[in-house]
Amino acid sequence: MTALASHLLERVLLLDGGMGTQILAKKPTVDDFGGNAFDGCMEILNERRPNWIQDIHASYLDAGADAVETNTFGANQVVLGEFGIPQRAEELNLAAARLAQDVARSYADRRYVIGSVGPGTKLLTLGHIDYGSLYLSYLAQMRGLVAGGVDAVLIETSQDLGQIKTAIRAAKDAMVQLGRACPLWVQATVETTGTLLLGTEIQAVITTVEMLGVDVLGLNCGTGPDEMHAPLQALAEASPFALSCLPNAGLPINQGGSLVYPLDPEAFAEKVAHLSRKFSLNIVGGCCGTTPDHIRALRAHLGSAGLTHRTPQGERSVASLYQSVTLRQEPAPLIVGERTNANGSKKFRDLLALEDYDGLVDIARDQQREGAHMLDVCVAYVGRDEARDMEAFLKKAVTQTLLPLMIDSTEVAVIERALQTAPGKCIVNSINFEDGEARARQVLDLCRTYGAGVVALTIDENGMAHTAEAKLAVATRLYDLVVGEYGFHPADLIIDPLTFTLGSGDETFRGSAKETLEAIRQIKARHPGVLTILGVSNVSFGLAPPIRHVLNALMLFHAVKAGLDLAIFNAAKVIPVAAIPGDHRAAAEDVLFDRRGDGYDPLKTLMALFGDGRAAEPAGPALEDLPVEERLKRDILGGEKRRILDDVDAALKVLPPLEIINRVLLDAMRVVGERFGAGEMQLPFVLESAEAMKAAVKRIEPHLPKDATSTKGRVLLATVKGDVHDIGKNLVEIIFSNNGYQVLNLGIKQPVEAILGAMAEFRPDAIGLSGLLVKSTTVMRENLLHMAELGLTIPVILGGAALTRDFVAEHCQSVYGGPVFYAEDAFEGLRQMDGLTSGLRPAPLAAPEAAGITVVHRGAAPTQLSPAGQSLWVKRGLAIPTPPFWGVRELTLPLEDIFAFLDSFVVLRNRWSFTQGKLSEAAFEAVLKEKAEPLLAKWKQRILDEGLLEPRAVYGYFPVQAEGAHLTVHAPDRTRVLARIPFPRQDQGRRLAIPDFFEPGAGGRFDVLPLQLVTMGHKAAELAADLYRSDNYSDYFLFHGLVTELTEAYAECLHARIRRELGIHGQDAPQLRQLFNQGYQGSRYSFGYPACPDLEGNAAVLDLLNGPAIGVTLTDQFQMDPEFSTSALVAWHPQARYFAV
Amino acid sequence: MSGPVQVTFLPEDLRVQAPAGTSLQAIADASGADLTFGCRSGSCGTCRVRVLTGQEHCSAMASEERDYLAGIHAPADHRLACQVRVEGDLEVEYLGIEP
Repeated sequence: MTALASHLLERVLLLDGGMGTQILAKKPTVDDFGGNAFDGCMEILNERRPNWIQDIHASYLDAGADAVETNTFGANQVVLGEFGIPQRAEELNLAAARLAQDVARSYADRRYVIGSVGPGTKLLTLGHIDYGSLYLSYLAQMRGLVAGGVDAVLIETSQDLGQIKTAIRAAKDAMVQLGRACPLWVQATVETTGTLLLGTEIQAVITTVEMLGVDVLGLNCGTGPDEMHAPLQALAEASPFALSCLPNAGLPINQGGSLVYPLDPEAFAEKVAHLSRKFSLNIVGGCCGTTPDHIRALRAHLGSAGLTHRTPQGERSVASLYQSVTLRQEPAPLIVGERTNANGSKKFRDLLALEDYDGLVDIARDQQREGAHMLDVCVAYVGRDEARDMEAFLKKAVTQTLLPLMIDSTEVAVIERALQTAPGKCIVNSINFEDGEARARQVLDLCRTYGAGVVALTIDENGMAHTAEAKLAVATRLYDLVVGEYGFHPADLIIDPLTFTLGSGDETFRGSAKETLEAIRQIKARHPGVLTILGVSNVSFGLAPPIRHVLNALMLFHAVKAGLDLAIFNAAKVIPVAAIPGDHRAAAEDVLFDRRGDGYDPLKTLMALFGDGRAAEPAGPALEDLPVEERLKRDILGGEKRRILDDVDAALKVLPPLEIINRVLLDAMRVVGERFGAGEMQLPFVLESAEAMKAAVKRIEPHLPKDATSTKGRVLLATVKGDVHDIGKNLVEIIFSNNGYQVLNLGIKQPVEAILGAMAEFRPDAIGLSGLLVKSTTVMRENLLHMAELGLTIPVILGGAALTRDFVAEHCQSVYGGPVFYAEDAFEGLRQMDGLTSGLRPAPLAAPEAAGITVVHRGAAPTQLSPAGQSLWVKRGLAIPTPPFWGVRELTLPLEDIFAFLDSFVVLRNRWSFTQGKLSEAAFEAVLKEKAEPLLAKWKQRILDEGLLEPRAVYGYFPVQAEGAHLTVHAPDRTRVLARIPFPRQDQGRRLAIPDFFEPGAGGRFDVLPLQLVTMGHKAAELAADLYRSDNYSDYFLFHGLVTELTEAYAECLHARIRRELGIHGQDAPQLRQLFNQGYQGSRYSFGYPACPDLEGNAAVLDLLNGPAIGVTLTDQFQMDPEFSTSALVAWHPQARYFAV
Repeated sequence: MSGPVQVTFLPEDLRVQAPAGTSLQAIADASGADLTFGCRSGSCGTCRVRVLTGQEHCSAMASEERDYLAGIHAPADHRLACQVRVEGDLEVEYLGIEP
């Protein structure tokens, strides 16, 4: 082990600070540079003013640096070419390395020389320079440094993944050429945006570099130490390499036209030393604006403490220019889009022939929208230059799509060109042993050089492996070569056990799917860590499209069950297994598992079921030769709002219009309700069914006899007084009105007087009251009391988020003379209505979920409070954090940043109601993967493309003191009181009130109160209303839910920033998921929730933050307008958590 | 067989009956006990309680909870309420996050 390597294992290595500013401080003249042609060429000073450079090195080493960087930041052919001396690159590097060596050796203890390699002036990925030129430019530099004896080569200030990969290759080649190995370090530059210059997230850097193998991966330049927190955290968590950090002396300030770096040596050193301890850094130093004094101060702060050990946990991944995507997706599989393929997509082939590269990129982007995680790219097409096409397409695609690439070609030269063009980490598709191992080795060499994983097919000299046993044998041989000999990580080997078509009926292939599924199981068991992939749709090749969809969906389903990790398929064409009718599924599975019997051939049965597959489309098989009633039912179940019109027209010729509605359509809606109730159908699909119902009824209405009534009954709906939430009530309206009821929807904020007034005119059979707020539950009770006083007995159905079955049973039914029902969802309400209108006694309230749990005694004596009137449960005297500023600031973030904080889990499960119900784990995952997630991707894209949201936010910090159950908020200069906000206190238990988490004013100390307010703007609320009015139920529901959750995401994001600024983010959970469960220090309280249920508090918050400045105002009920807004106060106290008063 | 067990929550002196084998989380939720849950998966510590009596009636710890409590050097009578199944009578005092 070298001295440097053992130093890095034992203690922090201190590098030097800025070089450029030190040189400029010597005020070089044109003469120093050697003439006008070389003015500004820092590298030539190695030759012309060697004593300057050595002085600077010495000043850093005297300050206590363990190592200095050579003055070679721009000493490559490209930069030197701008001064007309590209040919001098190698010798200038050699000279610079030797200069530094001389100084380093003059010290008694061991000091090191690190060869600095900057990014140059041209970005490969943006096409500023071609790969070959960039490689040669670096190769010359690397040769000079390696020959000059540097202790390590440092590829630094890197902004482009393509450039990093090229420089690493050049460095390694130089070492091989010169026969001298030395450590290779890489440092990326993260901008204030949190990504590299081109938008690359730090995880993508880790993934890209990981495969290439370096010794150090870290950060330098771009920002100061504070801003490096988040990317360092990401590196510390996931990077397997030693970690370095060389920040600038803060973010520069423009002072009278010149840039000034604000952090003085002491402040800089303190911050960097903190980072060093916090993230177990191996190497620290400075970049722009740092001086020997900064390094001296840093030396003092580092002390002699040893290194702490870091246990990074990275998931093996692939990366595009922008993002890293884990190969093991949860739920599986990782979807590889198959349409950017000249062999698989006619459209792609046609556009390729026209050289319409923008059109080709559109296909790539479509797949991204439809839920693909990665793209398979194949441009092989007879008569065209495949290498040229690959380069031309990739040059466009890599900047315009987010997805990592699978390079699909049989030509070694094409693969190499692709790997040079694509930044990030690709996968090469594919190798096999058809012609022995030679070609496989060629491709593996490329994978190693350019850092790519590989797909390997189970084909050997005997041809394609057909049995599980043969597939496993070839897989084992592949494993021995790729993992054993080449040393790839097992997850970078992705084995394709081959899929053959079952559609030909050919005896040879009848059992092939069964064998493939078995092979997946055996390969995964025998070679743990290795991944598998299938081109799923091959299984049905040659069959009619409707049959293909069913067979493909089931093949995928069973393959994932067997352990499949990646699947190549068209995400848009996959139907949920749950939507396949039972008879189709049974026959298709018999085909897959080759279950033939006496006179039974499942393939023939399957084809017969589809009538040779003429009519059916993926989403809902409605076959022309089925009776029209059956077709209508399928249209409803499948939510076919266009096709149902044709079927209605056909039905009107043979059936009376009323019968179509009452017997056929309503019956189908009943089935929808049953399936929803049984957990077999997800709410978004239910809404699609309702849309189809609505369309059908509209079509039938003109044909109804004048006196006909198709109404089962009338329902009056309202959201109660003081509550603006209408989504739940609107869902109820959709379900009721499309199940035969006439509905009058009064809207939101309805006082009981208005409800009763409308009742007199509309004469409903029942009233439905809705509300989301905790407070609305008591309003509902008050309404019932009022109605009871008037002697009313009309049935009332109650529903809403904060309402419980128990509350209705205990507090609502007892105060009212008529029937009162609790409806957990719209369908339970529908059942109650059906019961009421049919004269049957509706089902009594079911037993509460928590069966058998009863309170036997509630304590009477409450806990005492402190003399200051605060709960004694909360510990006092903790250090109060200092905010970075007092007062209010606007912080409007781009949507992409907000998306990053979106809790997709909550969107899908809660907002969009995709729930497992009675579905199997695998079936539910398939629904999520094939329907829900693509839907989410589609909506996100639409929101971006159409600019549907206008996010804005303000936040601020105020001096605050607690007084009993009040918070007294002071002006930033503490000269006057701005607000005094009252809070309720628990009357039992801990006797908490939110002010308990703040310092009492009696002590004279001030605490800090962070406040925040975010909004998604008015446009979103208007669009949601439009969607609802135009009967686009499903879109309405999805958009509303997503934007609601995005508002939360924005709040979460802002809260995270506040924690960071207060320095209390040390407890932040690593996973976003956990953040949403209060995985952080302190709490964020919003008015209207259990700890502070009264909305009046919003008035003070909006006033303090000046809500109207970002377009947020309060209604007379203290709710925020626009609807998609949320405000909160933040408590930093570690004991501050949610609680209920 | 699941004879009822009694759980007493302190400091509020709330006594609740439930079938043996019920999770402490379900009992706290259903009875409205003044006890806050965070992650509900044994890793955040928000629902930490001291078991005053009946430690032997708590289900054994899984690794997540053990790691968390060991990490904060918690005494042996501390548990995370979200991880406990109640097999017999129990008296717990809510502690929450250690400041």
